[in-house]
Amino acid sequence: MYDFGVKTPKSVDEVKTALGDSDDGQYLAGGQTLIPVLKQRLAMPSDLISLARVDGLSGIEAGGDSITIKAMTTHADVAANADIQSAIPALAKLAGGIGDPHVRNRGTMGGSVANNDPAADYPAAVLGLGATVVTTEREIEADNFFTGMFETALDEGELITEIRYPIPEAAGYIKFPNPATRYALVAVMAAKFGNTVRVAVTGAGPCVFRVPEMEQALTGNFSPDSVKDGMVPADDLNNDIHASRDYRAHLIGVLARRAVAEANG
Amino acid sequence: MSTFVARNGIGESQRRVEDFRFLTGKGQYIDDVNLENQAYAMVLRSPEAHADIKSIDASEALALDGVLLVVTGEDWKAAGYGTIPTKSGVRKFKDGSDLKEPPHHAIAIDRVRYVGQPVALVVAESLDACRDALELIEVDYDSLPSVTHQSEAIKDGAPQIWDDIPNNICLDFELGDEEAQKKAFEDADQIITLELVNNRVTATPIEPRGAVADYDAETGKFTLWNASQNIHANRDTIADAVLKIGKENLHHIAPDVGGGFGGKNGVYQEPILILHAAREIKRPVKWINDRAESFLSDTHGRDQVSTVQLALDNDGTFRGLRTETVGNLGAFCGTVGPFTPTGGSSRTQGGPFRFDAIYYTAIAPFTNTCPLDPYRGAGRPEGSYQMDRIIDYAAAKLGMDPIELRRKNLIPESDLPMKSPMGLDIDCGNFPAVFEKTIEISDRAGFAKRKEASEAKGLKRGFGVCMYLECTGGGPKEEAKVVFRDDGKVELSVGTASTGMGHETVFAQLLAGHLGIDMDDIEFHQSDTDATDIGGGHGGSRGLEVGGSAVTQTSREIIEVGKKIAAHRFDVGADQVEFEEGRFHVPGTNHTMTISDAIDSQNDPDSLPDDLEPGCMNISTVFERGIISIPNGGHACEVEVDPDTGTIKVDGYWVVDDFGTIVNKMLADGQVMGGIAQGLGQALMENIVYDESGQLVTGSLMDYALPRADDMPRMVIDYYEDAPTQKNLLGVKGAGEAGCVGAPPAIVNAVCDALKEFGVHHIDMPLTPERVWRAIQDAKAEG
Repeated sequence: MYDFGVKTPKSVDEVKTALGDSDDGQYLAGGQTLIPVLKQRLAMPSDLISLARVDGLSGIEAGGDSITIKAMTTHADVAANADIQSAIPALAKLAGGIGDPHVRNRGTMGGSVANNDPAADYPAAVLGLGATVVTTEREIEADNFFTGMFETALDEGELITEIRYPIPEAAGYIKFPNPATRYALVAVMAAKFGNTVRVAVTGAGPCVFRVPEMEQALTGNFSPDSVKDGMVPADDLNNDIHASRDYRAHLIGVLARRAVAEANG
Repeated sequence: MSTFVARNGIGESQRRVEDFRFLTGKGQYIDDVNLENQAYAMVLRSPEAHADIKSIDASEALALDGVLLVVTGEDWKAAGYGTIPTKSGVRKFKDGSDLKEPPHHAIAIDRVRYVGQPVALVVAESLDACRDALELIEVDYDSLPSVTHQSEAIKDGAPQIWDDIPNNICLDFELGDEEAQKKAFEDADQIITLELVNNRVTATPIEPRGAVADYDAETGKFTLWNASQNIHANRDTIADAVLKIGKENLHHIAPDVGGGFGGKNGVYQEPILILHAAREIKRPVKWINDRAESFLSDTHGRDQVSTVQLALDNDGTFRGLRTETVGNLGAFCGTVGPFTPTGGSSRTQGGPFRFDAIYYTAIAPFTNTCPLDPYRGAGRPEGSYQMDRIIDYAAAKLGMDPIELRRKNLIPESDLPMKSPMGLDIDCGNFPAVFEKTIEISDRAGFAKRKEASEAKGLKRGFGVCMYLECTGGGPKEEAKVVFRDDGKVELSVGTASTGMGHETVFAQLLAGHLGIDMDDIEFHQSDTDATDIGGGHGGSRGLEVGGSAVTQTSREIIEVGKKIAAHRFDVGADQVEFEEGRFHVPGTNHTMTISDAIDSQNDPDSLPDDLEPGCMNISTVFERGIISIPNGGHACEVEVDPDTGTIKVDGYWVVDDFGTIVNKMLADGQVMGGIAQGLGQALMENIVYDESGQLVTGSLMDYALPRADDMPRMVIDYYEDAPTQKNLLGVKGAGEAGCVGAPPAIVNAVCDALKEFGVHHIDMPLTPERVWRAIQDAKAEG
């Protein structure tokens, strides 16, 4: 690590002030990505602005047609929440399958979504469920939030405060874990809302993405058989020692079918 | 709590006495060693696979606050230090010429030859100052062409890693009777050929390598605390061959060591560099590798490509075996490196099967990669993989049952003792009995039903077996020293090295059992050049075989002395005294004396006969093994394969091992389970990968996959105990490596069995999901 200062604001307003007072400040949520990055000297912020003590950033609220999760809620709390387990079991399952117990008890939803790691689980939930990302400045629809590898629509200093997940009629999440990291080598969230179907894929490309061709086919018939191989071309997918792009393209089809089957119970 | 151990300590699953210390943070690992006024060191490692060092400018680093010293190759040249020699047991080419051993200095001089090679050592007041300094050292490299794959390295025109070593070949090797093998092949009905890759892996011990060096300017003596498995031999190399300070001036200690698996056997550069630094700055120096450096610089294992040929008759009778191997050595000769693909992989060729003839050859070239050295099994896993894979492959090609094929060719008990075609002295065992027991416990009757259940889920179930035969190794001599202290404690020092295996328990168990004393009174010492005069350390599954025998031998001598003391008290001849369960007695009389009585008397001249001196029961003996033992056993495995994704689940695992006498079943089970975990890791996921330019791609746990608890199946482990060996005092056959000798072929055989309906008969390790899926696609495409 390089030397850095630590600030511990108590409110969202103080967060903004703390950032303004720093040369090159960096928000610290659960730290499950940032701390290892700092330890390897791959980042050199002047200050870490810890969000741990900010009032009102943690908790889960179940509404009539949506569930709102505050940004600093840990993966373990999401996985164990009874409202989520009953309303969106696929989301509880997704959170319960992130990393290991250590990561799940420290890592936060907001931190994961803001980081937008191409192999992270949460982006598939946000995009696949068509959630709304609420920030200190505005509300951002999921379709407009994830803009590229580790890139989001968040402006400098803009902080996610909560994410609102509409409750689907049915949803399934299937992850094929990377054997080394257990990040998603490929993972698919498939969700049905009345006449609308959303399919989001993480791990396979440089950034989470939807599959319109599958969504269209599933809108007509929300059944695994509607998902055909080759609906996602391999060309733009990730290609590394863990999986070739062809294999990832194949897995998307297999996992999408399984996600739909899971959604249908 | 008092612990009395019956039956001379043999056969009891004593719980591990060291675990409380380990699990409560009381272990003494290298990072727990902190000396007053200690400085810290870090290593600048080469980012280039092959390059000339044009210049190194450390002036900015040295100008930093807190930086005490920077060591480079220029300093090493000036100091005139020696090179790190290889101790390979095979040292001659087939034509009798000497193996080609390039100079291996502790730090790169003028040229780097692999990514991760030490280029400079920085010593500073803190680790942060070291890190800052590393960023400021400027090294000007002139890149050279590099080669990482052994089959490429031996081609004409390949980049030359050493100017005077043609085709990069360090050594070639043969064992067996070539003429007889050729004749067997001519006579046989069928010859089956299989190309195999034994993938490159690394040990990844939970405790990385590290050391603390101290120098006493007044006495000229050095002390080195080092996470090493081989304290005595490595002291000799470091002190005599490299630093030339005389081994009497180096006190070498390994406190608790957190895993080794062969990766901590050899002599490494960094401990030598910090000994030099400690003398230069006249302060203790501490260095600890981080995980990324461990991937770059811990010696790697395996990395062999082989062509295996099995000649057999149409009725399944094995006739001949021929194996040709090219084994990667990395850029230098490791401490044992050249031995592994040559002698190490040759001796167990043919396994426990009957052959007319076997012929093994190997070529061991250098490449621009981290040096290779032993990894759990060191050659025997490669041999077992070759044998048990070619059997299943031949069975598939010829439409035979792999279980029947093994049954037909196992060496019968009546052939023993025998000398194998590879020269192994196989004294005892019962391979057919071990094999049948393995099949029996693996619930073959229930397989069809389980396969049906898998099929209903769209999964393919397969069953595989391996019948391995291996041999032990490592240093043949071991010392066990016992000192009875006035406070009632008993010091037991043994020259072996436990890196977590439980020596503290099992050796104390043996001593307590032999002498009838309380285990809780025993203080165990190991891995300290002051504690024992000699020490063979760890390696070749030698601990119990050689160290346990030494403890037994010392115990017996203590009892003999005790008998003389008892005889003196009762005024009888020593031959009239018997010893049992902690008591000396004279049969037919009421004369008895406890062992503690005898111990108490040993310092009182009046209680001793004339030929004994005070302290006579404090005894050290050296046991020397004549011939290595032959552990053997059967592994059986069931897998479920998802043909849509290629995912493998190992769903059942059964083992029957012949380790001779089982001293502590719980510890033996632990060895087998750990070995299976490492074998499963190699078979399914572990793989060290270098790219074309010699960069290490798998440089962290983000890319190097290790098995986790939920990857492991339930394991049923049983033993065949009816064939104790006469080669050592306990009748034991080393247990430490067998698990990962048997597991890779059993697992790969099971997967190939599951996929045989697709026509898949071989996949190279590691059997990653994509490789399995591709094999199915390719087989389907071929129709």
